[in-house]
Amino acid sequence: MMLAFAEIRRARGRFISIIGALALITFLVLTLSALSDGLFYGSTGAYRSSNANGYAFSSDAEGSLIRSRVPVTDVAKYQQIPGVTKASGVGVLLSSGTGPNGELDLAVFGIEPGGAGVPTTLTSGRLPEPGEDNAAAVDKTVVDKGAGIGSTIKVGDRAVTVVGVTQDSNYQLQPTIWTTVPTWRAMQSSVRPETRGLAPNYSAVALEFASGTTAASIPPVNGTAVLSTEEAALAIPGVKEQRSTLNSIIYTTLLVAALVVALFFALIVLEKRELFAALKALGTSTRRLANTVMTQALVASVIGVIIGIVASRILGLVLPAQVPTLFRTESLIQISIFTIVASVIGALFSLRRIARIDPATALGGALQ
Amino acid sequence: MTTNTAAEADVQKTGRPILEVLNVTKTYGEGHTAVTAVADASLSVEEGQFVSLLGPSGSGKTTLISMIGGLLTPTSGTIRLGDQMVSDMTKKELTSLRAERVGFVFQSSNLVPFLTARENLLYVASLPKNHNRKVAAKRADELLGELGLSDRANNIPEKLSGGERQRVAIGRALMNDPDLILVDEPTAALDTALGRQVVQLLAREVKQRGKTGIMVTHDLRMVEYTDQVFEILDGHLTKSDGTTPPAGH
Repeated sequence: MMLAFAEIRRARGRFISIIGALALITFLVLTLSALSDGLFYGSTGAYRSSNANGYAFSSDAEGSLIRSRVPVTDVAKYQQIPGVTKASGVGVLLSSGTGPNGELDLAVFGIEPGGAGVPTTLTSGRLPEPGEDNAAAVDKTVVDKGAGIGSTIKVGDRAVTVVGVTQDSNYQLQPTIWTTVPTWRAMQSSVRPETRGLAPNYSAVALEFASGTTAASIPPVNGTAVLSTEEAALAIPGVKEQRSTLNSIIYTTLLVAALVVALFFALIVLEKRELFAALKALGTSTRRLANTVMTQALVASVIGVIIGIVASRILGLVLPAQVPTLFRTESLIQISIFTIVASVIGALFSLRRIARIDPATALGGALQ
Repeated sequence: MTTNTAAEADVQKTGRPILEVLNVTKTYGEGHTAVTAVADASLSVEEGQFVSLLGPSGSGKTTLISMIGGLLTPTSGTIRLGDQMVSDMTKKELTSLRAERVGFVFQSSNLVPFLTARENLLYVASLPKNHNRKVAAKRADELLGELGLSDRANNIPEKLSGGERQRVAIGRALMNDPDLILVDEPTAALDTALGRQVVQLLAREVKQRGKTGIMVTHDLRMVEYTDQVFEILDGHLTKSDGTTPPAGH
């Protein structure tokens, strides 16, 4: 302990370099993870906040709400299936709209109040009542862009008044507004003229299951496929791909952390071979020298991680709201532990070198 | 502890040497590539004696002193320090033997660069299994005082002169009150006058404290401070009267 801390204190320069490297790595990994979480949560909020256990899509839609279209009669068919406690039509429209501060990109959800597929993350106000066709609840990100309870949002030629605010309920990084099915349909025919002549339909059927029932155990109605809400979230185009790409970058970076620490301590041990030989000659056990190096690796990585956390939080505060980042405590703890473990593993590689140092080389020195 | 004291009492009564090296040989390698570094060396040193070991580079003096100090194990022969058979010990036992009973002064002092003079002494005090911080702190201050380093105690080696560093190294060697002090070319990094002072200091400390000291050197001028002179050439050890220059010089 004496050696470990005295060296960090008095040979500060070299430890600042390793601490700096680990701080940068931690910062990078935390930022990537915040981006990964931001993309994932921003894309899947509409599903994760939904009270539905599963969704029935048209079977050629590959689980995508945008591509899916089911006839209204399917809702009644699903209501007949044992294990389904609620089935409600859900409509989705990605479109631009106009809020108090100008144009907004929106995901309009038409829902059946009181049915399945309704968001559960209301933070203020209320959801539209059944038949209340001029009202909508909006996600907090819409509020961040200037709307509030009582303000008006217009999509196509249809305007709605904001009556409530939900949180973490966005879809494909688009802020959501939650309105009734007839309002959704009116907005859709206003901005998508090609849908005007079609028979009435929904995007999908939201399902609530009795306990013990799973999406896989529901016999799908002809022409539809049932996915659990979690499966539907992962089926959103790009979500799985973004997540696996960013995660592989994160794991690679952690590997780099281990390599950097391994290299650093390999150099330190190489440089101190003569000193370590003398200390061994004086009666220091290999174990004690190993403890010194491991303590230093632990201290350096803990300090580096703390600096990296602080830096990433500062970045999070200054990043513009358009960048979808989400700093989750859970990811932060996980990444901190991973970085520290990677450092300790990196440092372990230098132990073999320490063990191999022969105390007998302390005598003789330059004259031999 | 009682056996130890008994052994020490025995040494005083009979004059039995504290260090006894008997027919020690060290061979490196095997078969026709084998090299004999030390061949059948015997020597014995009594308590309070300071002896020098002279020899040119590659003569085997480092190998011999390494075996005496428990850094190498002889191929054959025995080394006894007090009541302990050094030549029979395992690596682990040798590590604690060195920490508790042997003091080393290296050629280039080899102090821990990021510890102060005082901490360098306290560090070795922390090596034996039973150590007492308070006692160690007191002893370190006493030693630094005796070596004239009281006002340099809180300097790191970088801030000390070469002579001061060697004095700290002597303090470190004495710190754990060892039976045997091994000194490896203590003047190699010093000029003649300073080297002389350091060796004089070593000789005085060894005598006053009743230690046994062995100094490896190739500097004939330093042998006047020692009680016995041994010469080693090509692995063969001989006792010398110290007046004729050793072969190879």
